[in-house]
Amino acid sequence: MKTEMVAMILAGGQGTRLGKLTKNMAKPAVPFGGRYRIIDFTLSNCANSGINNVGVVTQYQPLALNSHIGNGASWGLDGINAGATILQPYSSSEGSKWFEGTAHAIYQNISYIDQLDPQYVLVLSGDHIYKMDYEEMLENHKRNNASLSVAVIEVPMKEASRFGIMNTDDNNRIIEFDEKPEEPKNNLASMGIYIFNWGRLRSILTSSYAKDSSMNDFGKHVIPAYLDSGETVVAYRFDGYWKDVGTIDSLWEANMEFLRPDMELNIRDKAWRIYSKNPISPPHFVTETGSAKNSLISDGCYIAGDVDHSVLSDDVQVKEGAKITDSVIMSGATIGKNVSIHKAIIGEDAIIGDNAVIDGTEEIAVVGYSEVIGVTVDED
Amino acid sequence: MRTNKMCALVGNLHRYDDLLPLTANRPLSTLPFDGKYRLLDFNLSSIANANIKSLFMVFNEGETQSVFDHIGGGKEWSLDGIQNRFFIHIYQDFIRRADNNSSYYDLVIDYLKKSKSEYAVYMGSKILVNIDLRALLHIHQAHGNEMTVVYKRVPKDLLYKEDIIIKLGEDNLIEKKALVKNAEVQDVANLCTDIFIIKTEKLIEILREKQSENVLGNVESFLRERISKDTYAYEYTGYLNNIYDIPSYYKANMDMLDTQKFNSLLYSSQKVYTKLKNEVPTYYSETSVVNNSQFSTGCMIEGNVEDSIIGRGSDIAEGAKVSGSLIFPSNTIKANAEVSYAILDKNIVVEEGVKIVGTPEKPVVVKKGTHVTADIIGG
Repeated sequence: MKTEMVAMILAGGQGTRLGKLTKNMAKPAVPFGGRYRIIDFTLSNCANSGINNVGVVTQYQPLALNSHIGNGASWGLDGINAGATILQPYSSSEGSKWFEGTAHAIYQNISYIDQLDPQYVLVLSGDHIYKMDYEEMLENHKRNNASLSVAVIEVPMKEASRFGIMNTDDNNRIIEFDEKPEEPKNNLASMGIYIFNWGRLRSILTSSYAKDSSMNDFGKHVIPAYLDSGETVVAYRFDGYWKDVGTIDSLWEANMEFLRPDMELNIRDKAWRIYSKNPISPPHFVTETGSAKNSLISDGCYIAGDVDHSVLSDDVQVKEGAKITDSVIMSGATIGKNVSIHKAIIGEDAIIGDNAVIDGTEEIAVVGYSEVIGVTVDED
Repeated sequence: MRTNKMCALVGNLHRYDDLLPLTANRPLSTLPFDGKYRLLDFNLSSIANANIKSLFMVFNEGETQSVFDHIGGGKEWSLDGIQNRFFIHIYQDFIRRADNNSSYYDLVIDYLKKSKSEYAVYMGSKILVNIDLRALLHIHQAHGNEMTVVYKRVPKDLLYKEDIIIKLGEDNLIEKKALVKNAEVQDVANLCTDIFIIKTEKLIEILREKQSENVLGNVESFLRERISKDTYAYEYTGYLNNIYDIPSYYKANMDMLDTQKFNSLLYSSQKVYTKLKNEVPTYYSETSVVNNSQFSTGCMIEGNVEDSIIGRGSDIAEGAKVSGSLIFPSNTIKANAEVSYAILDKNIVVEEGVKIVGTPEKPVVVKKGTHVTADIIGG
């Protein structure tokens, strides 16, 4: 069967606003919601939408991301005529190919897309938490005979100036695009999700790079060029839960929202599962001294302290007397005796020594991966 | 280790009627254990951890749905690798195909030959261990006896009537063996775990011999018979349990609430693998009260849980009380229901306010898929 649409996930961003959490790890690989990494939502959306070929464009600190994605088997992307492919910058006879921007990253991987010869290319970013049926977006794209579809979501008017804002006509055709406008005309923000007719995009990119390399970025260059040349650019409205987790505050907030059993994302919906690479650990253990309330807890945890309104990933140890509230604890972390943690994000394999106090009341506290806080006592 | 040094055979032919109704449609080896595992996972993980790439399993007819569902392509235990081969056979099929049951022998011999392995390991299904089979191979090679059998010193109350106990002679060779039901058992005995290692060639020879005698049997019974003064006994020192009836099954699970035993079985240097489910983390509400219990992923816990093990994807509603119980996956325990000292098989709904009460010695067992609308008081 011919590949109708290929997804390209742009996962190369450095995510500097996540500080310690992205020091040695690409943003899409940052753990989220107990069992997941941020990119799992996008990858699962692809798998659930029936997109079998996914290119993941990486650049910055890709080790954790690469080992997480592997051949895509965790999302069922390893079947016949399917595959997840990690696309790293590489050097060629024309020089090295570091990605200069979103559109440039697609241009540099033309040979990957050509080899699959799709009709459409779906461009996604790997750092949003949401569930979306891309097949429905493609149907909409075809119905409108669009050359480019841009997924848009209504954002609060006061935040609109942080986004690329689309101005549309009555038929949802985009007539104007303002990248981060000071005075937005409306609140329809681009989600950074695009469907392109591949033939058209390919020729625009190749002719641009043959001339002056002016098409580095989708928002800044490609979309305006499409509008200028009168292509049919259509807005696809999305109204579900969608969260950018690009900052410590928003990452913490999204985790806290994820905790609510009635949250809009409905992660328990078996018809649209969020898949991830599963490490295998035994069931988690709540001992006689431990308690768990308003919390999400994953496999392999050992809870001898009190956990309230928090998200715990796999294999977290919470020792006696420890109190964890309003926090996110990533996998493999050890929380010592009588430790108090409030409003914090604790990185993978961090060790918090006995009696330490981590208080993020003023500003969300962050402990990095494998960071050691306080004095740790060697047992056994 | 070279990939074809050992091949493995796993037997599941005994039917344990004392485990009914839990074993009505599944072999002992696919009984759930500790919330998210099946007993078979321990065998398969030991085999995977020893880098054994060739596996032969036999089950009884009518019991295979859970086997196929659980093992699937065998990915989780890396049975799907390019060098791997694994076979699942149905015993009755062998017998039907030839009245002199030669097809059983032919298939096993054919498997053993094609494995190109020097040694064959056999594991039964009712003894729960997490064993390093490479260490077993080294010991066997170092002593050069015909066969090595794994044993453990266990208290008398852990023994089943059909188990073999052994008496050790000089140099850890076996002096005497006896079935428990025919022996005078001391307080502590050497339990034969039905884990054997023998040269593949030798096993083929034994099978050919039995075939020519036209005997109806299976690999396990032949190896048990073969235990002799030329059999080396290798002591297993890790966690072991013996599962053959409801109380022994219940106790083995409850052992996992003992941190030391839990760590010994599940946090040894050898990881235990099981089927992946992609469940969400378990959610605890404001109203949950939990104490000394284990929980798999995908659960919603709003009620009280004490001294219990909860399987994947089970919901315990507000006001419900669960204590001293094994809750298999996909159960729903509604508001104010009470479940104590019970084993709830899969897909059970316990209606609001209903009581299921057993005793630690005699837990109440509720059949798979039951909708419980009236109290069950047992014990």
